[in-house]
Amino acid sequence: MFLEQLSGNLVQGVVLGSVYGMATMGLSLIFGVLKVVNVGHGAFVMVGAFVALFFFNTLGLNPIFAIPAAFAVGIALGLTFYYAAIRKLLHAPELATLLATFSAGVLLEETIKMIFGSEFRGYNWDVGNIDLVFTALPMSKILAALGSVLIAVLLYVWFKRTRAGSAMRSVVEDSQGARVCGINVDGVYAMSFALGIGLTVASGVLLTMFIPVGINPYMGGGYTLKAFVIAVLGGLSSPYGAFFGGLVFGLIENTSYTVFALIPGVEPFALTRFLSFLILLIILLIRPTGIIKAK
Amino acid sequence: MLTVQALESGYGAMQVLWHPELEIEKGSITSLLGPNGAGKSTLLETILGSVRPWGGQVLYENRDITFLSSHRKVEMGLALVPEGKHLFPNMTVYENLLMGAYLKKAYEHREESLDIVYTLFPRLKERSRQMAGLLSGGEQQMTTIGRALMTKPRLMMLDEPSQGLAPKLAAEVFETIEKLKSDIGLTILLVEQNADASLGAADYAYIMHEGKIKASGTPDEIKASREIREAFLGV
Ligand SMILES: Nc1ncnc2c1ncn2[C@@H]1O[C@H](COP(=O)(O)OP(=O)(O)OP(=O)(O)O)[C@@H](O)[C@H]1O
Ligand SMILES: [Mg+2]
Repeated sequence: MFLEQLSGNLVQGVVLGSVYGMATMGLSLIFGVLKVVNVGHGAFVMVGAFVALFFFNTLGLNPIFAIPAAFAVGIALGLTFYYAAIRKLLHAPELATLLATFSAGVLLEETIKMIFGSEFRGYNWDVGNIDLVFTALPMSKILAALGSVLIAVLLYVWFKRTRAGSAMRSVVEDSQGARVCGINVDGVYAMSFALGIGLTVASGVLLTMFIPVGINPYMGGGYTLKAFVIAVLGGLSSPYGAFFGGLVFGLIENTSYTVFALIPGVEPFALTRFLSFLILLIILLIRPTGIIKAK
Repeated sequence: MLTVQALESGYGAMQVLWHPELEIEKGSITSLLGPNGAGKSTLLETILGSVRPWGGQVLYENRDITFLSSHRKVEMGLALVPEGKHLFPNMTVYENLLMGAYLKKAYEHREESLDIVYTLFPRLKERSRQMAGLLSGGEQQMTTIGRALMTKPRLMMLDEPSQGLAPKLAAEVFETIEKLKSDIGLTILLVEQNADASLGAADYAYIMHEGKIKASGTPDEIKASREIREAFLGV
């Protein structure tokens, strides 16, 4: 009985974890290329959730179509935000970009609140369940996980095989070196920032598969915190590291939930969250560069 | 080939360049000497545009390129071998060289450029699959020069290419620079701390101090002037 539950949670952990991983790739990409910490990360995730909601409830469309739409919205937001603020702040002290991304998050939250209101909403995309021997999983979650893996693979191929991807890698390794190769470093910054925000907003669509009634303008905060734990697990500046960090985090979250539920008198949900941040603290103390070596 | 007039630039509010003037003849090696902090690196970076010029003029092949962006200048055949190498440590030597051929025209000629680089530095061919971060200092310097060659430059600016190298390797770097001029026909602007070796290779030399050009002349003239040597070169 316990083992069955545990293996069920392992599977659910991997499913949730791959979505968490994908939802952190944008954060790591932006940090890796620009050394900017996007404190407003969760608000961009929230925008993606609202794109999904809009597609499903207002347009009556399959949330799968919301993924490319959210990605496009993210690219547009990212470019606007980059040229309006980030670009001018890259050489300023770090606090400047922290404040800018924080305020962008607040701005997005309040804008969405004005348009859609602040109550909790959700949608139910019912595409059936998959029955494994030890657990049943909604098909929508499986699709979200597969979508996440697909996006991660596409990003990897794009990075390794395209000209723009190689320009981006070279800027990550040495921006002055990239410049003397004739690479438009400012252009790469703009592109990376837009791509990072695009991925983040798109991930918001995928995450809605896990929160049936949790869509709200202020839902982002928890994701910002989780994304930081995951990014640190994955080594901060590598999107692939972030993806594997997400898997590890999903597993820990799900497994510990099961284990804590067995202890009488313990509130498993709260304790799971506590454990996540305990992990963050421990990693930062012993291996601040992350535990997973990607590359 | 390159004319610098009354250039101004700096970092933040601090002005570093105070109207240096120089003229570089096509097909020559021009040496730029001066003490630490004179602004030599800043001058090269300002010419390339990685440090933004505040004013003045840079003419390249009779075109005003002062405020063009760096990638446009690289495309026009201006290359910089930066101080401190700036290789891509997690890419192989081959990948580093190929990044030099990033721009379209350079990419079309990548095979010939690669031949040129491997002929000049046979060592890099042997090391082509090794990560650049694991190379010896001398090999890293070859890779940096090789990567700059891959951009198909006509004018190459080198910032202290012999820095940190053992005397024998440093001498090889100077031989290489002379070959870049004689065999490949490049025009060279060379910044060096090693005044003797640099003057030995150069056709003309400028002395920079506190952001200005304080003296210039042929290497023989510079060497013959006790005043210049004592005031600026400390030899
Ligand atoms: N990135 C930077 N930010 C702020 N100040 C800088 C920067 N780079 C150089 N400086 C300052 O500009 C002045 C000129 O430096 P520069 O590096 O151009 O000198 P240099 O002649 O190349 O010296 P060296 O022989 O030591 O390489 C120095 O006072 C230096 O401290
Ligand atoms: Mg210097």
